[in-house]
Amino acid sequence: MFSKKMVMIVGVIVLIAVNIILLSVFNRRYVSYYRPGRIATSLIAPFQKASTSSIRFVRDIWRHYFFVVNVAKENDNYRKALNKAFGNNIKLKELKLSNSRLRNLLNFEKTITDRVLSAEVIGKDPSPWFKTVLIDKGKNDGVETGMAVVVPKGIAGQVTDVSTNYSKVLLIIDHNSAVDALVQNDRARGIIKGGMVGQCLFKYVLRKHDIEIGDIVISSGLDGVFPKGLAVGYVSAVFKPKSGIFQEVTVTPYVDFEKLEEVLIVMNPKKKQFEPEQ
Amino acid sequence: MTYFLHIFICLCLIVIQTTVMPYIPLFERFYDLLTPFIIYLSIFRSVRESMVIVFIFGFFMDIISGGPLGLYLTAYVWLFVGVRWAITFLHVGDSLLLPFVVAAGVLMENFIFIGISAMFEQSPRIFEAIVSTIFVQVLWALFTGPLFLMFFNYSHRRWDGWFKEIFIKKN
Repeated sequence: MFSKKMVMIVGVIVLIAVNIILLSVFNRRYVSYYRPGRIATSLIAPFQKASTSSIRFVRDIWRHYFFVVNVAKENDNYRKALNKAFGNNIKLKELKLSNSRLRNLLNFEKTITDRVLSAEVIGKDPSPWFKTVLIDKGKNDGVETGMAVVVPKGIAGQVTDVSTNYSKVLLIIDHNSAVDALVQNDRARGIIKGGMVGQCLFKYVLRKHDIEIGDIVISSGLDGVFPKGLAVGYVSAVFKPKSGIFQEVTVTPYVDFEKLEEVLIVMNPKKKQFEPEQ
Repeated sequence: MTYFLHIFICLCLIVIQTTVMPYIPLFERFYDLLTPFIIYLSIFRSVRESMVIVFIFGFFMDIISGGPLGLYLTAYVWLFVGVRWAITFLHVGDSLLLPFVVAAGVLMENFIFIGISAMFEQSPRIFEAIVSTIFVQVLWALFTGPLFLMFFNYSHRRWDGWFKEIFIKKN
């Protein structure tokens, strides 16, 4: 009744349809770190950790023993910078004291937590289309999904998967990431979304705000994940279209994601739960 | 015993791809290293032997990647099936065709990635960046893909030879 070719074509179409349905189901229900996922991570992560440690060990030897001259020069520069920073530090201490007095006066809540856990990046995403990293701290260390991940320069990302000893962090430059943020000077609010070339898009910023290149963007704390006031990046491009209510703003993150090695996990934020959709 | 070799090669490729290559700017937009291995399996190895590896490492890659679960598994299975189908009418064992087979494989994997991402992501990706990344990956695949295939083939023959020697000595 049907030719062999016809049956094959129908078979392939059915397979593609089943494939898309399965992907859709898995994508809606967040199942990646159920038991098989944890086993897979536990199998691969130790090798990644060993490899990363070896690379860093060799690189450290190189840096420490073969670049002593450069280090001495850098040391002189650092000494000069330190002297300069010392003066700035005194000024900042004064500002901190006055800030704390004003906060107490206004009965503000403490916005930045002090409980952080340091972790090492042991592997990066195998695909150029997604920006995640694997870190060497997991459930046993108290890490949970939704926790903010930061570095001294600013926000790095958010924990999206946790296994026993390892966790996956979605970086802010990933296409699926979103951070509620505001421009420090103008207080213009928007959402920081990942772009394609290591940059972020600052979306939903109203046209009425006068944002300039170089303006600093900080977290607003309104997403309940990232503490308020952490640096995200600086504005590197602004485009105001002739029509529409929003302007297009590009933000360059302060964090160099290519050189991300150690991160801090903020342990007691208001957590965002990744729950399966009903 | 062949499975051990496959698992060892795949583990090495994953570790290199996720820990060594990100630190080398030259390889910033290199293609997925498991792609030539999947192509190698579909050209040179049996379906029974290959499918286990395709499924296991497709799942492993899904776990360590930030994409939707099943993305790599889908890409690898269709890549395997596609190349398997192509060798029914193409003499891909011919070394002149190998660069194009790997490049086509990389292209196919990227199309699957972009297609699935477009289905599940709310905001569209930047078109220019997609095109330039795929172009660079295909160029890399054209020049380095056949070397990987030859290396896998050579390793496999050495491994088989080594086991034959041990077997003959024992008997």
